[in-house]
Amino acid sequence: MALHDHGLLYSADTDSGIDKDVVDELIRRSGCKITVNVMPRARIWQLIESGALDFSLSGISNGERSKFASFAWYFSNKYYLLVRKDSEVHSLADFSGNNRLRLGVIRSFRYSDSANQLVDRLQEAGRISQSSGLAPLYQALMLNQIQGMIIEPFDYPTVEENKIRERTAIIEFNDPAVPHGLIMSKKALPLDEQEKWRALVQEMRSDGTLRRIFEKYFQPALAAAMVGY
Amino acid sequence: MGVRTIFLPLLILVVALGITWLAWNHEHQVSRVGLRSQFDSSLREAASRIEQRMAAYEQILRGVQGLLATTGMFDRSALRDYVNTIQLDTNYAGIQAIGVVELVPSQRKDGHISAMRRLGFVDYEIHPEGPRDVYAPIIQREPYFGRNRARLGFDPWSDPVRRLAMEKARDSSMAALSGKVRLTIDAEVDAPPSFVMYLPLFAQGQPHGSVTQRRAHLAGWVYIAFRMSDFMASLYGTLPQGLTLAIFDDVDLSEAALLYRSAEDSARRQRPAEDLLTANEYLVAAGHTWTLSMSTLPEFETRFGHDAASVIAMAGTGLSLLVALLAWMMVTGRVRVQRLAAAMTEELRHLAQHDSLTGLPNRALFSDRLNHELVRAKRHGEHFALIFLDLDNFKLINDNFGHAVGDLVLQQIALRLRDSIRASDTVGRIGGDEFVVLMPELPESNDALGLAEKIRQAVRQPIAIDDRELVMSCSLGVAIYPDDGTDEIALTKNADTAMYQAKENGRDSVRRNTSDKPTSARVLTGS
Repeated sequence: MALHDHGLLYSADTDSGIDKDVVDELIRRSGCKITVNVMPRARIWQLIESGALDFSLSGISNGERSKFASFAWYFSNKYYLLVRKDSEVHSLADFSGNNRLRLGVIRSFRYSDSANQLVDRLQEAGRISQSSGLAPLYQALMLNQIQGMIIEPFDYPTVEENKIRERTAIIEFNDPAVPHGLIMSKKALPLDEQEKWRALVQEMRSDGTLRRIFEKYFQPALAAAMVGY
Repeated sequence: MGVRTIFLPLLILVVALGITWLAWNHEHQVSRVGLRSQFDSSLREAASRIEQRMAAYEQILRGVQGLLATTGMFDRSALRDYVNTIQLDTNYAGIQAIGVVELVPSQRKDGHISAMRRLGFVDYEIHPEGPRDVYAPIIQREPYFGRNRARLGFDPWSDPVRRLAMEKARDSSMAALSGKVRLTIDAEVDAPPSFVMYLPLFAQGQPHGSVTQRRAHLAGWVYIAFRMSDFMASLYGTLPQGLTLAIFDDVDLSEAALLYRSAEDSARRQRPAEDLLTANEYLVAAGHTWTLSMSTLPEFETRFGHDAASVIAMAGTGLSLLVALLAWMMVTGRVRVQRLAAAMTEELRHLAQHDSLTGLPNRALFSDRLNHELVRAKRHGEHFALIFLDLDNFKLINDNFGHAVGDLVLQQIALRLRDSIRASDTVGRIGGDEFVVLMPELPESNDALGLAEKIRQAVRQPIAIDDRELVMSCSLGVAIYPDDGTDEIALTKNADTAMYQAKENGRDSVRRNTSDKPTSARVLTGS
């Protein structure tokens, strides 16, 4: 199992987060010994594809990924564009229409449809700064090296820090919430194994375990919305 | 027609240039996208190579961590043997030193120093000096030769940059990189940019599953010290030509944070940056951020840009001009053809109406003019004369001197006839040696006879051909309108009869038919 350092999902500094809690619960329920590593998201997808890595968490699917990975969904969330106030961006069109603005993204990350379209369009125009982690993007945003980045609810605590909150605004992508789940490598796990893990995750949803994990990090209403999609 | 000859080719030129521009623009965009894609891929590859190399070094450090977790951190020979075994110099050229840091609380400081001195480091001290709650001096550094023999005892915990990484490593139990530092083994002022990777060592047999446990049972660290330039040289593969790379510590792009700059990057900075592709990538390796700043040089575009756009622009412009020129030639060519056709028609008409040998009006044209004059003279009640002229014994000329001479004679006679008549008169050739003259608007009937006589005398003048002098004569028959006839047939018959009368009376004379009936009759037209 590999985790990536990303806001409330997992913090390597404190070795804690939603994904860590979910892994601990999976280990407890399955009785399996699972070795947990931390690595960049792009590396995780490469290893899942090759079969060298069995699991990761909080993954979203797309046409390409569904060829080599299977998913057990357990929460969904929306995506938001975090922009510098002084960039005078009030809509998604404002951002894509201003050639001086750069967007920071985490390499290999995919989002909701319109967010993906924005990223792909800016990539072609050479207006993307890639990062292998989330933390540098906040720093780059504060230094005005980038003017926007895409965030998820897991990033709220960081965004709520005074120096960031005062200088940024949030624009919502008008897409439905995107399901996230346990990522299973098709090469590493046979179909019946995948089904067992999917059933385990479903059990964690049904008995309220996942909701309780999310409530440790979010307001109850948001936690319920995320796991009760 | 003039506007059309310019407008159409101009329109074609504008349209063709427009299409060329569209094709050029499309190709230019495609080329830019391709170039950008190549550039992005190069940046991704450079970042990936750094990550992979860093992961390899982390594995080395994990090995040291595992070794010391087994032997304990004070078994100095274990680390020495380990470093000797892995052949640091050859395989891991980026590594400057592998070392061990011991966590020393202030109450153990004196005992620690004594213990180190007993190991043979007689002047061992913890530096920088000064009282602190915790010390974390370097107690071993391998391979122990050259610069690495510098004094032990440096306390990296006292340096905020190193301490940050040491704390991260302690709390996460994972490898952590420091920011840009100057290694303690580098005494010189302009020491090369360097960094250190730390992993924590925990007290043997003690749990370290949580942050609290890790902090409670921390025993020290193992580290690898890197010189940035050596680290970069140890990467597998090289940057594609025409790319420059600079690496900055954290996300600070100032000179103070510069860790590495490729040789080409220095050159690029002296040139204007317009039109160059540039991008920054934030690389998080071992919990620390580096900013990779990559740019293209013009060579990159030359090497990877499929510059079909300029070929399209040149070929398209050339073809546009060619097509426009072709269109202009076609449009103006039609005008030229029309002019040529008109000239040819005129020439054909002249040929149809004139005798090719003498250039005089032929029977058809002469008949036309005669009929014209009949209508005119009838309307105005005027006189005109028709004269038939036949050369005397012309057959002898052809027989004796050949047809070529005969033709020359005919041409000379034609010239003399033309010179003898008035401007309003018409002289024509209607047969081999037969000529006709139309004399309109005659004030007196006898004027015609006088003019015929003048012609007869002109014909009698010797003709010089090829050093030979020939003397010709002719017989002329005159018919006057309306006295000798009021239509073409009658006039022609009378003139013809008169001419034969002149022939019969010894030739070389002018006659007007005075008998009531002509002895013979020939119709001018239709014969």
